[in-house]
Order: sequence, then C-alpha cells, then structure tokens
Amino acid sequence: MLDMLLDVLKASGASAWEVTDLQETGWEFYFIRHRLDQNRAKKVEHITVKVYQKSEDGQFLGSASGEIPPTASRAEAEKLVGDLLLSASFVRNPAYSLRSGSREEPRRSAADVRDSAARFIRTLNSLLETPESDLNSYEIFTSEVTRRFVTSEGIDVTSVYPSSMVEAVVNARDAEHEIELYRLYHSGSCDENQLSRDLTETMRYGLDKLKTAPTPALGQVDVVFSTDAALEIYDWFLMRTNTAFLFQRISDWTVGKAVCDAPTGDRLTLKTVRELPNSSSNAAYDNEGAPVRDLTLIEDGVVKAHWGSRQFSQYMGEEDCFLVGNVEVSGGTADEDGLRQGDFMEIVEFSDFQVSALNGDVAGEIRLAYWHHGGEVTPVSGGSISGSMADYAPAMRASRAQRQYNDRLIPSVTRLYGVKLAGVEQDGE
Amino acid sequence: MKAPFSSYLAGIAPGLKRLVELLDQRYDYVSVLATDSVGFGVRISQRQKSVTRETMTTERGCVVRVAKDGLYSEAAFNRFDPDRPEETAEALTAELDSQLAVLKETGTAVYETGLLPDEPQTLFVESETGRLPEEEDIQQLIARLSALSDEGVQKGKDLLDCIGSAQSTHISKLFLTKNRDLRQSYVYSEGGVMCLGMREGRTEGSHAGVSGRCGPELFDDMSAQLEEALRVTDELLGSDRIEPGEYDIITAPDVTGLIAHEAFGHGVEMDMFVKHRALGADYIGQRVGSDRVTMHEGALCAENVTSYAFDDEGTLAGDVTEIERGILKTGICDALSALRLGTAPTGNGKRENFEHKVYTRMTNTLFDSGDDSLEDMIASIGHGYLLQGMHSGMEDPKHWGIQCIVERGYEIVDGKLTGRVVAPVVMTGYVPDLLGSVSMLSSDRCVFGNGGCGKGHKEWVKVADGGPYLKAKARLG
Repeated sequence: MLDMLLDVLKASGASAWEVTDLQETGWEFYFIRHRLDQNRAKKVEHITVKVYQKSEDGQFLGSASGEIPPTASRAEAEKLVGDLLLSASFVRNPAYSLRSGSREEPRRSAADVRDSAARFIRTLNSLLETPESDLNSYEIFTSEVTRRFVTSEGIDVTSVYPSSMVEAVVNARDAEHEIELYRLYHSGSCDENQLSRDLTETMRYGLDKLKTAPTPALGQVDVVFSTDAALEIYDWFLMRTNTAFLFQRISDWTVGKAVCDAPTGDRLTLKTVRELPNSSSNAAYDNEGAPVRDLTLIEDGVVKAHWGSRQFSQYMGEEDCFLVGNVEVSGGTADEDGLRQGDFMEIVEFSDFQVSALNGDVAGEIRLAYWHHGGEVTPVSGGSISGSMADYAPAMRASRAQRQYNDRLIPSVTRLYGVKLAGVEQDGE
Repeated sequence: MKAPFSSYLAGIAPGLKRLVELLDQRYDYVSVLATDSVGFGVRISQRQKSVTRETMTTERGCVVRVAKDGLYSEAAFNRFDPDRPEETAEALTAELDSQLAVLKETGTAVYETGLLPDEPQTLFVESETGRLPEEEDIQQLIARLSALSDEGVQKGKDLLDCIGSAQSTHISKLFLTKNRDLRQSYVYSEGGVMCLGMREGRTEGSHAGVSGRCGPELFDDMSAQLEEALRVTDELLGSDRIEPGEYDIITAPDVTGLIAHEAFGHGVEMDMFVKHRALGADYIGQRVGSDRVTMHEGALCAENVTSYAFDDEGTLAGDVTEIERGILKTGICDALSALRLGTAPTGNGKRENFEHKVYTRMTNTLFDSGDDSLEDMIASIGHGYLLQGMHSGMEDPKHWGIQCIVERGYEIVDGKLTGRVVAPVVMTGYVPDLLGSVSMLSSDRCVFGNGGCGKGHKEWVKVADGGPYLKAKARLG
C-alpha cells in the first residue's frame, strides 16, 4: 500500500509531501477488582499524508493533510491526494523550507507486547492490598509501535518502540465512607517497581483522605507540590519556549531573556533529553522527521534556545528546532525537607489541576492536602487554589532531588509562595 | 438532502456478514461495528492557516466483539479484505487465543457476564443535512473564515489574533450480528471564533462556538460568534480576580450545561455502578436536587453533535429522565453494564473510535427549563455573580464533588449587574448542595456541542449539554 501511495504522491504535482505510516499492535486488559472484565486486541495501520503547494510567485506555501485508509485502491488514493492538493493551493502561509534528509536505518527499542502485558497483570495482582485499601479496577494498554516517516525531501526514518498505559482506581474505606483516587500512568513498557511504589503511595493517600477536615479559608498560603500535578507548572515554562507561542506573540521569552524579572527563588534549568528510562517518548525522530537530541532550553533562569515545529521555527528564524519528547528540569537548591518548613499546604490530589499555557492562570480543586501549621499536620479536602504562574514563578523553589513521570524528569518537590486559596470553612467556623 | 450511507461500508457488508458467520461457529455471541466517517477541519488566523481532512471523529475501521463462556473479547482492525473474511477470522481468533494463554499463565479470573440478546432487527437511517463535508467548497470556506479573521483584528482592541475554525464530519456506521443489520449516516458540524488579546502584559482569549447536527452550512454566517468573542476578550483583558467565598450565582446556559454534564452526567454512567464507583447507585429514588430540577439525557433529547440513531453496541437511541423534580430516577447504561445490573441499555454505549472499548457515555445532557426571567433572577441577588463561558470541568462520582472552571463572572450587587468582570472563576462544591440550592430557572434553553468529553483522562467522545439560566449557590475561587 505504502509503495503505491508514494508513487501517487510523486506523480501528483505537489511541491512537496510527507507521509507518516503508523502501525500498532496492541493488547488491552480491563479488570474489575482482579477479575477480567474484557480483553481486547488491535492491529491497525494509519497512513497520514501532508501535501504542500507553493504559490506561483513562491511567496506562500500551503498545505493540507489527511488520512489515507490502508485499504484504499489506487483510484481512491489519487482522489484523496488530489483533494488535499486542491485544498493546499488555497492555503496561503508565508513560505518556509522543509527539512531535508536521507534514509536511515530503523531505530528499534525492545518491545514485546505479550511479555509486557503479563508483567503488568502480575504487578497489579501482587500489590499489598488490605481490607481498608485496595484496587477497585484497572485497565492495561500495551503496544508495539512502528512509525515510518517519508518525505519528498529525502527523509526516510523509522522508529520502533513500546508504548504502554495503565489506568488504576484505588479505593480506601472505613466504617462510614469509601473514597477513590484515580491514576493514569504512561510508560514504554512495564516498570514493576515504579508502578508498585506509586500505587502503594496512592493507597496511603486514600486512607488519609478518609480523615480529612474541610480546607481552612486561608486566603493565601504556600503550596507544596510533590506529585505529577507539578508537571503542569513545568509545562508552562516549556510552552513559553515554543516557537509557535513566540510567533503568535503569546510568549516573549526570546533567547537571553530571564524568565523572571526579579527572581527571589530558584533559577531553573530546563532541557530536552533524547532518552529517559522507560519513557514512551524515546522515539529517535520527532513527528516531522527531525532527529531528537539533548538541548538546553532554559539555563539558570535564562532562555537559551527554543523548540517547535519546522514552520514556526523558520518563521522565527531558527533553523535547528525539533518537537520535544522528553524533558528534564533541574536547578532546585533545597532538599525536600527544606521545602517543607514553616506553614504550608502540601496538595497531593486535585480534581484536575491546570495551568493555562496561554496566560499562566492556575486552577484546581483540592481533593487531598496536608495542612502543616504550627508543627501539626492535618489532612484536608475541598476548596481550590487559583492565581497566575506569572506571579508565582519569581519566588518558586524546587528540590535538588528529581522524580520521573514518564517523559518528564522534574524536581520531586516544588513550592509556590502566597498562592490564592479558597477554603470551605465558613467565616466564624 | 439525505446524508448518504457509506458506499465503502455497503461494499464490505457482505464480507463482514460472512466474518460474523465464521466467528459464530466458535463463539457464543458475535457482533461487528464498522465505521467510515469523513470530514474536514479548517482553521484560519492572521498568522497561520491550516486544512485537514481529519476531525476528532473521522475514522475507517472495524471492531469485532465476541463472547465465550461469559468472557467478552474484542479485536480491532482496519485492513479488512471483504473477499477473504476467513483470513481475518483466523488472525483475530489466534490473537485472542494468545491473550487467553497469558491470562491462564497469570491465573486471571473472569468477570462472567450473560449473553447479549440478538433479536432480529434492521434499520437504515440517513439523516437530513444541508450540505456534505466531503463536497464542501474549501476555497469558499477559507475565504469566509479569512474575512472573519480580518474583520476581527480590525475591530478588536489590543488583539493579537482572531481565529476562525470550522469542522464538519459525515458519520457512517454499520452494526451487524447474526440477526441484526443496522446502518446509519448523519452529519454534524462545529465551529467558532477565538480572539486572543494582550493588554499591559496580560494575555487572554475567548472562544464563541456554534454546533449542530447539520452540514457545513452552519459556517455560512458566524458574525454573531465574532462579536461575542471580541466583546468577551475585551472584558477578560480588563477583568479582576474574584474574592474567594460562597455566593449566589446565576449560571448562563453553557455553564448550566457544564454542571449537568459533571454533576449527573458522569455521576450516573452505570458502568460506574458495576464497579461501585458511583454514589448515584445508592440514591435512585431519593432527592438529589431542589424540586425545580429536572434533567434529561439521550441522543433523542436534542439535535446536536451526538444525536445518532443507534449507539456503538447497536442499541437504539433513547431519552432518559434522570432527575424528575429533584428525585434521581435512573442512570444511563451501555449494553454489557445493563446485563450485569439486570436493567435495560439506554443507547449510551460509545467508543472513542473503532479501536477503543465501549463505555457508558453521555450524548445530550440537559436541564429542563423553568418559568423565570433572567431579569427577575438578577434582581433577586444581593451580592453574587452571573457565570458565563465554559473552560473545563471534572466530576467525582464517588463523592459528588464537582469542579467547574468558568471563563468569567459578571458581578451583581443589589439586584443589578455592576459591570465588573472577574476571571477565571473556579466553582467547586458538593453536587446535592449545588442542585439543592437551585431556586430559579429561565424559560429558554440552549444546547452546546463544541469540544469533547473524556472518561477519567482518556476516551474522548463528542457530547452536548445545556439548559436554561439557573440560580443557585456555590463556592467560587
């Protein structure tokens, strides 16, 4: 099929074209308690084509993309490519050059769906559960992905890699209540130790959630993040170094600019890294065929480089960008205990913590937090935090110690100062 | 015009029927869902223009569901050769057998489920549409959206960009068992205008959307969306932060819809009852809101982006009264969960696409209207906010906690809008408290179908929700 499609594209009259051929063999298992609810298998191929058409004066380069079914006949493929080409001719984006390259040997990471599935099942079956805390249900997704990217400019690269996901729901209960906590893990294949460690920690949080008091109406409080919610904070920094954000003037983080005008906290370093252990983003090439490499984006709080798609990077005059896979954040100066001094709210469960990539607005309902006050620790729930990272970033501090969440390696503890908090205690309570 | 059923699906139907026959020799139950959905997405801004033939729901593929000895299994594939169904039957049987071997090795027990019924049934539905996405004049559409974007940046104050977007999808689905042959085809569309502005270093953006079970004719005039996005972006750029606290609120129909969706949409998805993950299971027949609250759910409740004729398990679409005058009556249910719970499916078994499992999912989730006027509602408030603009929400069916991130709030003091705008607003609370505080509802009602809905943090599907203006009490931050 792919050879036929490449022939069609070569004969289409397109100024340029790109083809992504994604083949996936996946196994899925769904459990209620530890009984199998359903098993699923999939074997699919998705072929996506992007065609480019340059204007006659060379000032504009239009593109249009779409999926070509793997069962398409030659006539159907010609029709679909023809439609895309016609659409592309109406799209007038400022011209930019496409990346060129050559055919490379496929890069392969070990992927064994059967083995990975068995390891996930055994791991989730062997957790230390108690009458007070256990697994309600879980879903296991594990697959082997082969991704080939071919372009009219000579690029022909293939990555073979594992990709997995586990969704788990933890229950905790006492005589009066039962609560649940939700987890979604992405990884390459099964990391038994990390999965067990995290779910055991989640069960502990669940037991604490049974004992919560209403979150006090503090108005403002220092907040400590020690779970994957902190990813939202660091992704805000990451997105502000994206050439698309710079081109759209949503970000003004040009190279050489300090990310905070008057920082009183830690000056962070943020870099893309080619590989992280068991990350699901260890593909050797990005979605546009650019080789992924280690690159420092922010160093000691100063922007050093940008990342992004070919189109926006070219618009910003940057030739050597690529799309980010793995990211490492460092530069914290304190140990974990040092960030847990004085009064603070350590929030470990949100309904859905969000930091707006557009303007840094922070929002999240508190499902479980530990209120550290006057040397005492009280589990609390309810209420929400808000505010803006633009206000919180200058004083923000992070730990030297790091923790990995799939394709992100970030400080294990992060502290924001003076965060706006709406509690659930009423005045006078 | 009628949205024509996919000729591709019609062509492979005989091969799929043969596949069902072959698998029926080995399994206790066999069904196949085949999909062929095409569409386009166009996005035009001052800084970038893009055209794609993919939307959230374009797809072509098949999924087989089989049952043996109480275990349901599925296999998804998209390289089906209708002339060689034997090869497909052999390949997917071998793959599922390999899985069973792993399950045996790991000592896995099965959650046994009864057999789905397979009463004879045929259905062929081609819904009305004005135009078809596959025949839309993309050049004209780009020109219209470009003019909209140009007008936006000319009119807007402190605007970075103005983005016009349009997506339209022509869905075709075929559901087959030994005794059933269901076919449907319909078109839905969604679009809108987004303005991005910056003032004194502050960046804000607002989106005004439009959606419907109709074709790309929906995009012929989006001037109202442009005016709304321009107005709201200007308001957001001049907005304040809210002082956290509990307030009297009026929710605009989009925020009312968000509450419906998060409160008793997810809260009564009955696959969560099977897992004992929803408090709603214990409250059927009990009061969960004030007697002003009535709520409906179903593909037949409204004509919007997810108003289909049958769901992804071949159950015909329904209209369920979930809450009647404050009393929780029932939930919504997919077919397998219905078997396990001993109830009837409601036509809410949906997949993200053919590669994904069925879950109980929402379609149209709506509060019924009341008989109050918005003016009277505003006049009744001493200090509170009119909340408008939906950002996101999150449910907690186990505890009935709710989080809604609302774009903006208009301050009300002594029964009048003051002109002060606060943004964003995080609304949180306990669902029965929130619905129990509902005291007034306006007589109009709107339905919104832009965006998507996840289950947990995955499984994205189209949904629509809405209702009237609603007065209640809530905690805002």
